[in-house]
Order: sequence, then C-alpha cells, then structure tokens
Amino acid sequence: MKDLLRLKTSLKEEIENILNEQIKVEAHSSSIYLAMSSWCDDQGLDYSAQFFEKQAAEERVHMMKFFKYVNDRGGRAISPEIKNIPKDFESFRAVFEMALEQEMHVTQQINNIADKCMKSKDFVTFQFLQWFLEEQIEEEYVARRILEIFDVVGEEGTGRWEIDKHVQKVSYSGE
Amino acid sequence: MCRNFNCLDELYRTEFGAVYQCNLKNCYWLEFAGEWYSLNVSDFLFFKKEVDSIDIVSMLVDSSRHSDVVVLQSYRARRCFVLNAVEILQLKDLLSAARFMIELNSVIQECLSYSPSTSVK
Ligand SMILES: [Fe+2]
Ligand SMILES: [Fe+2]
Repeated sequence: MKDLLRLKTSLKEEIENILNEQIKVEAHSSSIYLAMSSWCDDQGLDYSAQFFEKQAAEERVHMMKFFKYVNDRGGRAISPEIKNIPKDFESFRAVFEMALEQEMHVTQQINNIADKCMKSKDFVTFQFLQWFLEEQIEEEYVARRILEIFDVVGEEGTGRWEIDKHVQKVSYSGE
Repeated sequence: MCRNFNCLDELYRTEFGAVYQCNLKNCYWLEFAGEWYSLNVSDFLFFKKEVDSIDIVSMLVDSSRHSDVVVLQSYRARRCFVLNAVEILQLKDLLSAARFMIELNSVIQECLSYSPSTSVK
C-alpha cells in the first residue's frame, strides 16, 4: 500500500504538534515583550521601551522561522491564538525578572523539543533547532546581565535613569 | 471525486463506518452513517484533530438544546456533519484507528526500505 502520509509530510505528528506549540510560545513571548515595551514607555523608561520593542520583533522572527519550517516540511503551521498578556507590571526590575524567566522557559521548551527529536530520530528537525539553542545563550545572558546592573547601580536617586540608559549597551559577544 | 473500488484499500472498519485509502487519487474515503466523504491527506489529519477536540463531557453536562449536537464543517468534504455525542465517539474511534493504520503503514514502509538490498513494492 502506498505511503500517502510520507508523500505529504516528512514531519511526524508528534513533532509537528510540538513545533506548533513552540510557534505559540514565540508569539506569546513577542506579545509579552510588546506589553513590557509599552509599560516602560509609560514609565518614561525610553531605552528599555526600545529594548523590548526590539525583543518583540525578534520573537516574531523566531515564530516565523518555526512557522515556515513546519510548512516547508509538509506539515500545517497553525497561526497562534495569543491570550493572557499582562498590561501592568510590578516594577522596573520585575519586568526584567519576568523577561529572564520567559527566556529560561523558552530554553527549556526547545530542550524538550530537541529531546523528542532525538527519541524519534528526527535529526533534520534536531539540526534545525541548533540555531535556537545558540540564540538562547544570548537571550538569557542579556536578561541576566541587565538584572545584575540593578544590583550594581541601585534604583535610588537617579539609579533607574542610569539603569535605563545602560540597558541598550548590554550585548553578548560570545567570546 | 469518483470512487474507484479497484484502487481502494480498506484501512479500518468498525460497525459504524470505515476509512479507505485511494491509491489512484492519493486521498482517503470516510464512510460514515451511510455517507461517503473524500478527504486528502492534509484535510483528513485536520478533520481528525477537529473531531478529537470536541469536548464530549461538556456537551453532555450542558442541558441546553443546542449542545445536543455538533455541526462539523469540512470545506473539502462538501458535506457537513451533524453529530450527537454517541456518533462523535464512534467517529473518534474510527478516525483514530484509521490514523493508527496510516502510521503503521508508514513505519512498515520505512522498515522495508531501510535495507538497500530489499526492494519495496
Ligand atoms: Fe525566541
Ligand atoms: Fe527570546
């Protein structure tokens, strides 16, 4: 009997489902960062607002990478529904703590997908994930570094203004 | 799409219906409640997901009249399904068994084609 399934798609159902889940996670990240950007803007934290706007755009690019991959492999990518995006945040620092937690969550998710790919011997998708795993090193580093600046500078007096200005300078060289 | 019985492989049959594979048109035929529906691979998988996502418990718990049946639309099946809870269970069973057979066929094909010395028909 002909194998109609593999003529149509190279993705196993389980892998397609978790990739669609990841599309949702990336879209969710993008929306959270956009909410953070708006909050920072409202608080007069210009550079942080810009920082999160850029992060939001990057997360959308991540989402589209997964989206295209699913379709290119013969699967069906699902346009994600995004719910439960906060509008208000506890504090300047809490925003960056949440950002780090979000990135750590993403890393964990991608690790899980890589694990599933290994188990079902889908090394093509496993290879595709490498870019994201590497990207997560930078994402976590930057968020963690900014949190450390809160400790170094302190929020008193002009501290918040100093921290905000410094946010844009944090980068990861990988060297 | 015409049904050519010569090229239909039966994937699974229950007492309520059956799913066939058409090797000529590369599609599946679903026979259910006396009707025939043809679906391509992608539509079939999508349709199964739709059926699986129906929450039967909340249908049964909800006492309002509109929750007695679910109307399922598949654009390509060119018919819509009006199903009560029992029929949904029957359809879920049939589709998941057929889905299993489809997967099994893939696994078998993969195993057969693994060794270069074995030729697969
Ligand atoms: Fe991301
Ligand atoms: Fe990220």
